[in-house]
Amino acid sequence: MTWLEIGLALLAAALAVALYRQLREFRKLKRWASQSRLSDPPEAEGGWGEVFNFLHRHRRVMLKRRRELAQLMVRSRRGAQALPYGVAVLDADYRLDWCNDAARDQLGFDADRDRGQPIVNIVRAPEFVDYLRVADFSEPVRLGSPGGRRTLSLQIVSFGDEDHLLLSQDVTGAARVEAMRRDFVANVSHELRTPLTVLAGFLETIQDLKLDAGRVRDYVGLMAPQAERMKHLIDDLLTLSVLEHAPPPPDAERVLMRPLLQRVRAEADALSLGKHRISLEVAGSHDLLGAEREIASAFTNLVTNAVRYTPAGGDIRLRWISTDAGGEFSVEDSGIGIDPEHLPRLTERFYRVDRGRSRETGGTGLGLSIVKHALARHQAALAVDSRPGKGSRFSARFPATRLAAAAQKVQG
Amino acid sequence: MGNAEHISKQFEADLDTTRTRVLQMGGLVEAQILAAIQAFSTGDAALVTQVIENDARVNGYEVAIDGAINHIVVKRQPAASDLRLIMAISKIVTDLERIGDEAEKIARMSKRIHEQGAHPAQRFPAIRHAAQIAVKMLRQSLDSFARLDVNSAAEVLKEDTAIDDEFRSVLRQLITYMMEDPRTISASLETVWVAKAIERIGDHSKNIAEQVIYIVRGTDVRHTSFEDVERELSKE
Repeated sequence: MTWLEIGLALLAAALAVALYRQLREFRKLKRWASQSRLSDPPEAEGGWGEVFNFLHRHRRVMLKRRRELAQLMVRSRRGAQALPYGVAVLDADYRLDWCNDAARDQLGFDADRDRGQPIVNIVRAPEFVDYLRVADFSEPVRLGSPGGRRTLSLQIVSFGDEDHLLLSQDVTGAARVEAMRRDFVANVSHELRTPLTVLAGFLETIQDLKLDAGRVRDYVGLMAPQAERMKHLIDDLLTLSVLEHAPPPPDAERVLMRPLLQRVRAEADALSLGKHRISLEVAGSHDLLGAEREIASAFTNLVTNAVRYTPAGGDIRLRWISTDAGGEFSVEDSGIGIDPEHLPRLTERFYRVDRGRSRETGGTGLGLSIVKHALARHQAALAVDSRPGKGSRFSARFPATRLAAAAQKVQG
Repeated sequence: MGNAEHISKQFEADLDTTRTRVLQMGGLVEAQILAAIQAFSTGDAALVTQVIENDARVNGYEVAIDGAINHIVVKRQPAASDLRLIMAISKIVTDLERIGDEAEKIARMSKRIHEQGAHPAQRFPAIRHAAQIAVKMLRQSLDSFARLDVNSAAEVLKEDTAIDDEFRSVLRQLITYMMEDPRTISASLETVWVAKAIERIGDHSKNIAEQVIYIVRGTDVRHTSFEDVERELSKE
């Protein structure tokens, strides 16, 4: 062996060691990179160590970014979740991707199972299907909720490249107010037009035909009740309008109950013409605090209704019961009663259970609205208890704050 | 290979489109019932006309879906679960079309009832209640078709007895009215038709639910008592 050979052998050995080391580090890198979830890169010395350090640093930055993104996602989902609107994320073909709880409740989505389902498979209302087909999303579309109890307003908003957001909002309240306003104007016009048509008809007849004085008097006699009816209606409308806009009733003015109740009863007697047995019962000696005219108007309306809707021979019981806890004025009759389905709408303006009957007996359709308003202004509530064919009981319940112990015992 | 995959994708898309169309037809039919019942309660003549006119749209859906189904059968010759789906869709469409006819019938009857003027208002709640159950059954059967949800479909079968009870109670009420006041007989008889139409809507909805069970399980549960259906479904 020459020195040269020894030198070469040593060199070869050193190279082999170095190569082995490189390969070992390379294999480490390979093993690390092939993991499905990256852990911290391996440690090493020299140049490899630097490379691994770079990787280490990149990984840290990436992890941090990913965490931030995840947080951002969670936050935006939470934000969408907390919105008072129903929100659903749809893809380009209007398939459901994600929705918040409000959308689920309003539209009946099942967030897990309906994923990827075309939205029109679930929201099948023809209005909505047409809305998507026409694809003019500048205005929302209105439809009944599944179940029909509520009114929803739906709108599509495009975002990103081809994605869509579906926003839904419960507009039941607004829709009801709109309908009420529309109905009110239509109702008032209708109620005024009917008597007016009769009046105009008679006037024309009197003008056109040469009638003798007796005939004219007959016609005028027929015209008078129609004019009276219009006057009643306008009076009631004005009363309602006053109740709506007047300042709150005084809370220190005493309304003497006994004389008031006697007056209400006398009115009932006058209207009944002895056809009903009317009784008045008073328990407790409190007076009310408030506006006498309003309270009297509410009570009179209740009593008038009882007389109107109770057949001859029936009983009508008026009762005023007061304790320190509160007072209650009630009118109980043995009349025709009211079907439960009408009860919630009874105090709506012009709401009539039986149109023909109400007009026959001279009702304007505003009585119970007036009662409700007048009572509400005194923090009192109207309760109705009724069974068809058996009779009804209307009671006005006043809180203790509206009561005043009678200053002195009034005999009676 | 790529071609076969393409064809099966296209087939899948055709099925999806048809399914969505069936559901849209269902949505229209549901709206028709609601409008018809509204017309019955209020006597709104415009609504009656609207329901009658819209029935043409329902029929249009039926014809279009039938055409699409024929096309799929001829072109793809589906087998197994795909065939079941196609067969079921064909039957569901027939049921939906009949429900549409019942809605139209309710609208026509309502017009006649209100033209006669005399009608005790009390009979409306029972009818409306029955109608609510019927609409709910239809909606749930369509929902279970959209989601292919067997359990929800089984619930629809159970509801059917409720609607039958409701129908009998409406009949009893009407008989009382007719005995009390013979003037109401003619309007009451028309009302019987309305109640019968609602009861039929319940039956058709039940048929749809049965088809959903057939699609998913391949078991025919028609003419089977509800208890047997439940046992069958719980076998899993």
